[in-house]
Amino acid sequence: MKHNSIVTLSIFSIALFLFSCDDVIHPALEKAEPVLVIDAWLNDSPGTQKIKLTRSQPYFESVLAQGVSAAAISVTDTNGKLYSFLETEPGLYVWAPIGNEVFGEVGLNYNLSVQVGSETFVSEARMGRAPVIDSITFFLVKGGQFADDQYQAEFWSTDPIEPGDSYWVKFFKNGKQQLKPSEIITAYDAGFSKGGNFNGVPFIAPIRRAINPFDEDKDGKTLSPYLVGDSVSVEIQSVTESGFNFLNQAVIQTNRPGGFGELFATPLANVDTNIINTNPTGSKVLGFFNVGAIKSLGRKFNSLDELSEN
Amino acid sequence: MPIFPSFLFLTMRIKFLCFFLLFAGISALAQPKFTLSGYIKDAANGEALIGATIYIKSLATGATTNVYGFYSITIEPGNSDVTYSYIGFATQAKTLALTENVRIDIELQAEGKQLEEVVVNSTKDEQGVKAQEMSTNRLDVKTIIRIPAFLGEADVIKSLIQLPGVSTVGEGASGFNVRGGSVGQNLILLDEAAVYNSSHLLGFFSVFNPDAVKDIKLYKGAIPARFGGRLSSLLDVRMKEGNNKTYEVNGGVGTIFSRGAIEGPLFKGDGSFIVAGRRSYADILARPFVDVLKDGGALNFYDFTGKANYNINKRNTGRDKFFFDGNQGFSWGNNTGTVRWNKIFNDRLFANFSGIFSRYDYSLQFGENERDNFRWKSSIRNLTFKPSFSYFLNTNNEISFGAEANYYSFEPANAYGTSNGNRIDISLPEKYNLESAIYFANSQQLSSSISVEYGLRYSHFTSFGPGKQFIYNDTIPGRRRTVIGEKSFENGQATSTYHNLEPRFSIKAELSEVSSIKASYTRMVQYLHLISNTTASNPLDVWTPTSNNIKPELGDQWVVGYFRDFGKDKKFEFSAEAYYRSTQNQIDYIDGADLLINEFLEGDLLSGKGRAYGIEFYLQKKVGRFTGWAAYTLARTELKVNGINRGEWYAARFDQTHNLKLSGFYDLNKRWSASANFTFVSGTPSTFPTSRFVVQDILIPYNALESRNNVRLPAYHRLDVSFRLEGKTVKRNGQARKNSDYWVFGVYNLYGRKNPFSIYFTQGKDRVAQGSPINSEARQLSIIGTVVPSVSYNFKF
Repeated sequence: MKHNSIVTLSIFSIALFLFSCDDVIHPALEKAEPVLVIDAWLNDSPGTQKIKLTRSQPYFESVLAQGVSAAAISVTDTNGKLYSFLETEPGLYVWAPIGNEVFGEVGLNYNLSVQVGSETFVSEARMGRAPVIDSITFFLVKGGQFADDQYQAEFWSTDPIEPGDSYWVKFFKNGKQQLKPSEIITAYDAGFSKGGNFNGVPFIAPIRRAINPFDEDKDGKTLSPYLVGDSVSVEIQSVTESGFNFLNQAVIQTNRPGGFGELFATPLANVDTNIINTNPTGSKVLGFFNVGAIKSLGRKFNSLDELSEN
Repeated sequence: MPIFPSFLFLTMRIKFLCFFLLFAGISALAQPKFTLSGYIKDAANGEALIGATIYIKSLATGATTNVYGFYSITIEPGNSDVTYSYIGFATQAKTLALTENVRIDIELQAEGKQLEEVVVNSTKDEQGVKAQEMSTNRLDVKTIIRIPAFLGEADVIKSLIQLPGVSTVGEGASGFNVRGGSVGQNLILLDEAAVYNSSHLLGFFSVFNPDAVKDIKLYKGAIPARFGGRLSSLLDVRMKEGNNKTYEVNGGVGTIFSRGAIEGPLFKGDGSFIVAGRRSYADILARPFVDVLKDGGALNFYDFTGKANYNINKRNTGRDKFFFDGNQGFSWGNNTGTVRWNKIFNDRLFANFSGIFSRYDYSLQFGENERDNFRWKSSIRNLTFKPSFSYFLNTNNEISFGAEANYYSFEPANAYGTSNGNRIDISLPEKYNLESAIYFANSQQLSSSISVEYGLRYSHFTSFGPGKQFIYNDTIPGRRRTVIGEKSFENGQATSTYHNLEPRFSIKAELSEVSSIKASYTRMVQYLHLISNTTASNPLDVWTPTSNNIKPELGDQWVVGYFRDFGKDKKFEFSAEAYYRSTQNQIDYIDGADLLINEFLEGDLLSGKGRAYGIEFYLQKKVGRFTGWAAYTLARTELKVNGINRGEWYAARFDQTHNLKLSGFYDLNKRWSASANFTFVSGTPSTFPTSRFVVQDILIPYNALESRNNVRLPAYHRLDVSFRLEGKTVKRNGQARKNSDYWVFGVYNLYGRKNPFSIYFTQGKDRVAQGSPINSEARQLSIIGTVVPSVSYNFKF
């Protein structure tokens, strides 16, 4: 259950009458050795597939992490098919299709092997299914004092009947993926969580309508997510259950709206990985391995006549 | 509904009977002495005085009144000079020739105005050198009202935080922490009924209306055998009974809410009533400015307290509402009701029977229309029957015994969601439980200087069908466990049962007329658990019962203390207490735990150990123009949970090494008085990352050492002041005014310190393009980062 948004919203309005303040500070942090990070999210969309190897950085080092070179990376499926990933630039390992070849098949298991120096890191993942996106619609939410009129998008798709599917829903505005921590959308079946038991129905409204990027102008006024002329596209990628947990843990750690939401924040905790060192006493590893199917759909917002009822 | 297990009641009744016979036997054997008993009340309004003293000088012995104002003392026949006293009231003396058992009810007159204003933080004989009790603090409403408060609203819970051993994680956080206990380990009783959420407006205010509260008492340790059910403390809140002499109206207009109370006699003074209410008006003020409060929108909280005191019966209800329109928002509320019957069987046997109802419910809903919406309701209902007896065996022994049966029904989720017209019921099954206990205790004077109190409580907890039980596998510590089996149970069938013996012991040795040492051991058991993994507990936090997967929490506390009075007329009181508490089966949570509407919640819970130790110093000046206290606590609270912090001990989120509170009250002249309090608290622990990494363009913080609470936030300190101006007591024509009123002008956080509530780590607010470096930053949040002035007007007629 994601109740944070509504709680935060409510608290925000109370905060109008209160006196909080939120400042950037620069505390000293403990030092730590860098740890290998394997970013291996593969999917069945046409084209190349990429795996990135980097190392963790000191927390305040806000630059791109340097790549880890000279690793040997391969992925094999249950049928014994081998996919080789070759380093094309430092830390970036690419599998390129031959002809119309695509990566992966729904229902198969995949094993990852990454050899760095003398150590080997392994993981496995099953490629789940992703439902077709039927349509994207636009609707209007009237603005007010604190917000412009909001033209919002909504995607329509139905979770398949048997339970146990999980997804990562990504969205793109004018071709650019929207990447704020608050824009990481996950679904377990048609709802937010496994225990929620929403299954085999259209995705619930807070998920369908999560594909809207909210930004403010410099006066703090909320801008409309989309305007006539903008385009939106949505991608549903299947993730393993541990991938779903990984994303949700990442959201808890990264989506920190601040303010009164901090009253209800959980302590900082490390996000799990599904990659292990074959030598249990060897060095640590971070990151995640997921193989997913992708379904996508895009639409351009051509005119106000296209608005549906809210 | 399951069948109520009446057999348990039956066995309890049999045990009662045994107790009875036992005492009847003892009293028959005792020497011929006579008993003096009765009620001590306030002459002005008939309110029972709790902890008032009766003292017989010739025998150098005395007694204090219980929570109903009743006393009983058994002494040798003959002439005795008896004094009745209560601080702030004129002492009454009587000479009695005791030739038979006598019942004498006494009404004490409040002393003159000057003295009435004297702050009484704790009644001397109850808490200090002479009392058997230790680790208790009593606050009376007059004190609470004078402590400078946030936005000028006197608050019961916030006042407690001024006491030694009591802390909070920060402003806005609900509840309080006692000696290293979590918020859910405090039992809060409002006229004996359990209150599950004591907060309004998150944690800024508490649900207790000071106009209706008579007395509060916090037990931090040495908890008597008649109480049980929570590990760390008991907060006993007693409401006024209402003035049985004359009608009285109290009220006030403040910054956040207005309040009013009316009380008066019933049945020509044989009974009395009080009704009191408060309502916030943030929404009324906000309505012109905030257009989100559309049709049906609400943003308010209120509470209503009513009590009729004949065959005493009372009701309390409160609710917080945060609704943006008729469909969206959340609310929570407590309802409690108590029916109580006091019976004096004879001069020595006093009984009280209470029937209590308590309900806590909350709801959350959103969704724009019928096709897509979400509704969730959750509640705890609780019926309690509680007979308790005091048997005044002789001057050296006061025996108490009784029983308690609590029937709970938990409704974790009565919920549905609709997605594009497809409605799905996501309700979770109700859970039914019975918590019962019997207890026995004796307070015994061993010699003129040594007394002991010993007791035993036997508690029993059963879960009943209908319902399902899940069996989980044991996987890696700190990870979610998965269900490997389930078992169904029929209506009324017991699914899991636990029972525990809870010994209680305390000893007091008077070293001299002005000093004593005390020690105690207490075992407490907690069968209901507040499930909360956030910094502050929030109103949607669920309570869940002990089950096959959740074991009862156990706590053992040892305390030693030194108490001393000094100065002229013993005007200073000093105490030092050291405690050590160890707990088992404390609940913790896996990372990313899903606590709301989760059928498999128990798979996300971890179990660990806790230890808390500290020393508390308390110095109080109780009389004079200047009164006040200093409280200092040096403490440590730690947890050890497999799967957190490498399995090693770590400091709890509310651990505070140093905690200093100073409160002072000064009468400037007849009309003006000033109050100030100062707080200094060491920074609470927090978890900071060491590193960062990026996966799929998500910036993730990482603590390479796998530590929990590895860093301390900066210290917290704050000064508040307030001034009170009494209204004129005479009219222009020189006649005395019938009404009285006063203004309170306050400033909270006088020097405007930005005290950190938390430091959190996040990526910068700007949008980042795919593949570009992401900026990481640390932010410090202060809930109250400015000076907060307030003014309120209060009246009484």
